[in-house]
Amino acid sequence: MLRRSLAAAVTCGMIALTAACGSASSSTASGPVTLNYMIWDAGQKPAYQKSINQFEATHPDIKVNIEVVAWAQYWSKLQTSAAGGDMPDLFWDHLSYLPQLAKRGIVSDLSAKIAADKVDTSVYDPKLLSQWTSGSTVYGLPKDWDSIATVYRSDALKAAAVTAAQLGASNWNTTDGGSFVALLQKLTVDTKGKHPNEAGFDASHVKQYGIALEAPNGQQDWWDFGVQNGCKLQEKAYGTWTVNSPACVAAIKFEQDLMYKWHVAAPGTVTNTPNAAQLPQILAQGTAAITFDGDWDLTSFYAGLPKGGWGATTLPSGPVGSGTVYNGLTDAIYAHTKHPAQAWELEKWLASSTSEKIVADAGTVWPGIPSLTGGFADAWKQKGVDVSAFETETKGTTMGYPLTTTGSAFNTVVLKDLNQVWLNQMAPQAAADDVTRTANAAAGSGN
Amino acid sequence: MRESIEAYLLIAPSLFGFVAFLLLPIIGVFVLSLFSWDLIGDPHFVGLANYRTLAGDHGAWNALDNTLYYVLLNIPAQTVLALLLAIALNRKLRGGKVFRVLFVLPWMAMPVALGIVWTWVFDPRNGVVNHLLALVGVAGPNWLTDKGWAMPVIASVNVWQYTGYTMLFLLAGLQAIPQTIYEAAEVDGVTGVQRFFRITLPLLRPSMLFVLVTNVIGSFQVFDTVYVMTQGGPGDSTTTMNFYIYQQAFQLFHAGYASALSIVLFVLILLVTACQFLYFRKRTVYDFS
Amino acid sequence: MTTRLLRRCLLYLALVLGAVVSVAPYLMTLNSSFKDTHRIFATQAWTPAVPPTFANFTQLWGKYQMSGFLLHTLLVAVVITVGQVTFCTFSAYAFARLKFPGRDLLFAVFIATMMVPQIVTLIPLFLVMSKLGLVDSYAALILPTVFGTPFGIFLVRQYLRTIPADLEAAARIDGAGTWTILWRIILPLSRPIMATLATVTFISSWNNLLWPLMVTDSERITVLTVGISALQGQFASQLNIVLTASALALLPLIAVFLTFQRHIVRSIALTGLK
Repeated sequence: MLRRSLAAAVTCGMIALTAACGSASSSTASGPVTLNYMIWDAGQKPAYQKSINQFEATHPDIKVNIEVVAWAQYWSKLQTSAAGGDMPDLFWDHLSYLPQLAKRGIVSDLSAKIAADKVDTSVYDPKLLSQWTSGSTVYGLPKDWDSIATVYRSDALKAAAVTAAQLGASNWNTTDGGSFVALLQKLTVDTKGKHPNEAGFDASHVKQYGIALEAPNGQQDWWDFGVQNGCKLQEKAYGTWTVNSPACVAAIKFEQDLMYKWHVAAPGTVTNTPNAAQLPQILAQGTAAITFDGDWDLTSFYAGLPKGGWGATTLPSGPVGSGTVYNGLTDAIYAHTKHPAQAWELEKWLASSTSEKIVADAGTVWPGIPSLTGGFADAWKQKGVDVSAFETETKGTTMGYPLTTTGSAFNTVVLKDLNQVWLNQMAPQAAADDVTRTANAAAGSGN
Repeated sequence: MRESIEAYLLIAPSLFGFVAFLLLPIIGVFVLSLFSWDLIGDPHFVGLANYRTLAGDHGAWNALDNTLYYVLLNIPAQTVLALLLAIALNRKLRGGKVFRVLFVLPWMAMPVALGIVWTWVFDPRNGVVNHLLALVGVAGPNWLTDKGWAMPVIASVNVWQYTGYTMLFLLAGLQAIPQTIYEAAEVDGVTGVQRFFRITLPLLRPSMLFVLVTNVIGSFQVFDTVYVMTQGGPGDSTTTMNFYIYQQAFQLFHAGYASALSIVLFVLILLVTACQFLYFRKRTVYDFS
Repeated sequence: MTTRLLRRCLLYLALVLGAVVSVAPYLMTLNSSFKDTHRIFATQAWTPAVPPTFANFTQLWGKYQMSGFLLHTLLVAVVITVGQVTFCTFSAYAFARLKFPGRDLLFAVFIATMMVPQIVTLIPLFLVMSKLGLVDSYAALILPTVFGTPFGIFLVRQYLRTIPADLEAAARIDGAGTWTILWRIILPLSRPIMATLATVTFISSWNNLLWPLMVTDSERITVLTVGISALQGQFASQLNIVLTASALALLPLIAVFLTFQRHIVRSIALTGLK
């Protein structure tokens, strides 16, 4: 009797469920196909929506749903939906995750489609395209790029009689710091108005630091010092990690010295993620005079700092020369998408010069097609900001994102260890050793 | 017999939801803990390998340590404060209703904004706390980047967030105690502190059990605050079990290992909760039979 | 008399102090929602937003689908709350007052599931929803909690145990059945706890982020937390919008709390009468 009523109850529930599920899946009739397109930057959505509106107008049989998921949850959401066999048809892909995704065969190889449709890939910056190519496999067409440059507060520079040109032309070295540290000393003042190179400077009561450096994995700070010092994070693409090589350790050490030896950089207590204020805010608060940041934050600087009160210039040069981290994104097509043909149409459109022009001309992001970069620069010129430094950087020595299947292990251990280096609680060599060991061990574990 | 049928009919809807959306996924976690899986590829059966890894994993033991430390910091403070608050607000007090809303407010806050709010409060240079400390001539510490302070700060933030919430349940419990019992006690000359220990506390026991059990479970699973405030740092000084599980599952994509960790945490919480129930049962029998 | 007055004053002092600590972060959030990004960055959170700007609010409605977010969230939270309160009360009554085979074991299993860390169970739960074809639907948001949760059942059960059994025994002698007792005696007496459970359920559904984030994709069902968290960038976030939205998101919750709180208070009178 009992068992029967229980069984009845469960059946009841099951019927309710199937009814609900029936109504949910009944919409798969003929009609336009809807593609899910997942991106992580809400700030870029308006420009992409504009481009996609055009796409939908010329492709009446395809509807596109743009889904914005913040970076912090983007990859977990992507992996979970992969587990359910239900990933977005198209999604922004990042080089620190591509190899892991590609290894599992869930990112489509576009090479056959590129050949069949005779897509001219020579329009893209070869440096960008090559990062997304492995042998004859192409994982995506470059839709944009970013680089790191110096962003400064004009009033702080003026007060210290430092010019942006001087900053851009400065050099650093590990022995006396070079002209870069000398300029930062001018920009650093304690509450009594003393500079770090003056007697009586009080490092625990600094009013304004010369520079603030903040990055969860190194892209906006020690990787850049690294490339300027000849550091290679990996022995080769997809090779073992070499973060503990002398050139890399020296770059990390230099950044730590900026904080604790020269006292010109905000210490980790001010800049360590995740609880630190963001770089545009640190500049706006007057905590620091300059910073290194990627062009993706330009909108934030623009909203947060007085109009005309800030600018961008090139990074300093290091012992080996100039250099920046040069990175770009592509759209990946889910390998098991139900609509491969339509997804390819969208991919092609988003990487076309028409679409990249729409996005670049709105000042949203630098385009992956070099001939269109002027549009992005002009959009910012109209707002009174000269962003050419970001482009200048890319013409010199650059490093791309490390290509590895252990990206997530690397990111996790780097955040943990380097944060301690910036707090002066861990030696650069020890941190570099631990990062190298942990990240390489992750490769051994098959993950 | 009729009572049994009625009882099963009453619990049928909950039982269905429970089995389909809670028990089934939990069984899934048990099964997953025997596999190696990165969510994308095919899971591989590895037997008890995840559990063996766990035994030698310094990170897991450290996370366990941190979790226990957190629970010890959080539970006593939160429970005592909430109880005091509930008693204070249970009296006829002018403005009592307003206070009740104000104290519950922190628990309603949307988690998304909390990360920003805590920067305002605990930033060593520009934060509220160090500004206030400076007023009385104290140089405040670096709070969240200080290995000694980070965990107490996280614990106090959770006390801030959940004291009013805990108070709600105790208040509901207090209000269920019939006024007549107090009146009778007054006739017998039981007042003040005696009244609290001999009447209020024993009669509040069911609510107390609920509050302690659910809060201890919640504390062992602390995650949100760690996630928005420290991401487990500095070093791994605030990496709690649940944050470690999150890292393993969603940052490193070791779903199998994360499941094994979940099972271990589950067993631990189960043991602690069983002790709580036993303790309360014993006490309840003594006082009421 | 004077000591009594002194104690009163001390009590108020402590309460006011606690209230300030409780409310200050919210006031700073509200204050910041009247500032533009520049002033959020450059001024302290407690610096008054004078003159205030309302641009953040107009943006929330103009540029972002705030009305949609609110509507979807409200729908989900209301349905879950109604289901949760109803079904939890049913089950709790059975567990607290009725005798049936397997009761204690079943209850223990219910309670035990609360102890399994939620984060990892979301993966199998997602797979269940995926198999049922419910991903990206209201059903996926509502089903997991609408039938009641161990937490809710436990809460109500504990409360019911504080209600003296003789009330019920008297009714039974008068020939009342289980349903009559449930409707006539238990439900009226359970108002405070049902109100508490409703408040808790509503607020936690309102603020739930992880599950809706995983299981929904389309704007037509995007809930508030998901909509707002999308504005957090990889590096810099749109703080002005995030803060304004979270300040606003609290207002309905306060309203809900005030509504249910009245029931919590009213019940004192009821219990007093008995």
